[in-house]
Amino acid sequence: MKFFRVILLLTILITPLKANTIYNLIKIPNLEIYEINTKNKLKYFYAISSFRLGVQKNIACLNPDKQDLEKKFKTIYKILSRYSYGYLKKINLKYIVLCENLSISGINTAGIPDNIMKTLILDIKFNKDYFERVIHHEVFHVVNDQYKELFNEDEWIEFNDSKFEYAECSTCTEKLGLETYRKTKGFFTEYAKSTASEDMAEVYSHMLFLDKNEIGQIRKLDPILNNKISYIEDKIKIIDNSFTF
Amino acid sequence: MIKRIKASTSEKIILIFLILLLVSTLGTYFVIKNECLFIKNFDPKIINFKNPNNIAILNAPCGNVIIELYPEVSPNGVKRFITLIETNAYDDVAFHRVIKDKLVQAGDLEFGRKETLDYGKIGTGKSGLGNIKSEIENEFNYVKGSVGLARTFKNDTEDSQFFIILQDEPLFEGEYTPVGKVIYGLEVLKKIKHQRHSEYILRPDFINTFRMLD
Repeated sequence: MKFFRVILLLTILITPLKANTIYNLIKIPNLEIYEINTKNKLKYFYAISSFRLGVQKNIACLNPDKQDLEKKFKTIYKILSRYSYGYLKKINLKYIVLCENLSISGINTAGIPDNIMKTLILDIKFNKDYFERVIHHEVFHVVNDQYKELFNEDEWIEFNDSKFEYAECSTCTEKLGLETYRKTKGFFTEYAKSTASEDMAEVYSHMLFLDKNEIGQIRKLDPILNNKISYIEDKIKIIDNSFTF
Repeated sequence: MIKRIKASTSEKIILIFLILLLVSTLGTYFVIKNECLFIKNFDPKIINFKNPNNIAILNAPCGNVIIELYPEVSPNGVKRFITLIETNAYDDVAFHRVIKDKLVQAGDLEFGRKETLDYGKIGTGKSGLGNIKSEIENEFNYVKGSVGLARTFKNDTEDSQFFIILQDEPLFEGEYTPVGKVIYGLEVLKKIKHQRHSEYILRPDFINTFRMLD
């Protein structure tokens, strides 16, 4: 035991201090700057090696392949450039972390928002069919975390058919499909049926992803979604009156 | 009768070598011991400043650090900073957090004073004047020598602690309230005591005085 203590002490004493500004700011290790000179002042970092986060280290992500990163960054940058500095400031989003195979407790996920650290971690390898829309979906979670009191789930549930029930949580259900329904019937995707918060995120992401005519058609044909779209529209207007879908 | 033996040439060379070795050893010892030897100490009285009302002089162990304050960038932050400077609140306060060639941090008025230094709490102390709001809206380039107000993880928690960066830190823009920039004496800060394996310093250096230019 003494031997290990001595080794530990020696390791501490001989390891030079490496000050890491990014780690000090957002408490995620192994990151480097990818792009910080952006119009809306979003700062993009990428993982130079894998990292684990959380009290139980249950959040994991790998360092991305450089070529993949280059390609995906262009897409991510374009999508997030849609958000103004003013809007991002109101929703408290400043840092984007790009990595690969992001997971929470072994379950793959497209993104993880951290409202306190103003950070959104994005998996650049997430299903490419839905990648662009999913970024908006994750941004909604940032919005929702920042304005919890604004997005009332009880009010939201009232929009659905009275017999419909969401699952207990987004990962305790088999409803994970992200393909947009042709006949919506109150939900844009199967995943929207998982929880009220995921449903809101799916509505928000579709409002930004689909063109205005498509949204207009859906509003005419689906009264439930029409209510949900109006709800999101109204709440976002409260946050930032200048934001347009 | 004692016969005088003359030193041979090689013995003379060895003697001269030993004398030179002694002189260089002693010389080196004193040069190394005086860490401030090659640091220029700027005298604010002989410098012409554009905005003399916004000049503050921090006197550290190796000399003066002359800081220009920017009230137009962070009015409330600078106001708080000047209030504390004018009440001599920073005198004998420790540079408690120092990262070599990166930053020095000081200003813990509660646990960082020479006479009441508390290693267990240093860095968490308050001034008693309360927190002020972060001023991070105005553009400010955090280049080497910039002075900012330290805070907790949350915004609007700035109080008396401040830091000075020794290298450019573009990520600090929009994060920390800037209050000014070192215009003379950055080298003085590079000599502030640091530790190789810790940001927090055991037996730290202290601010001697911190005054506004008369």
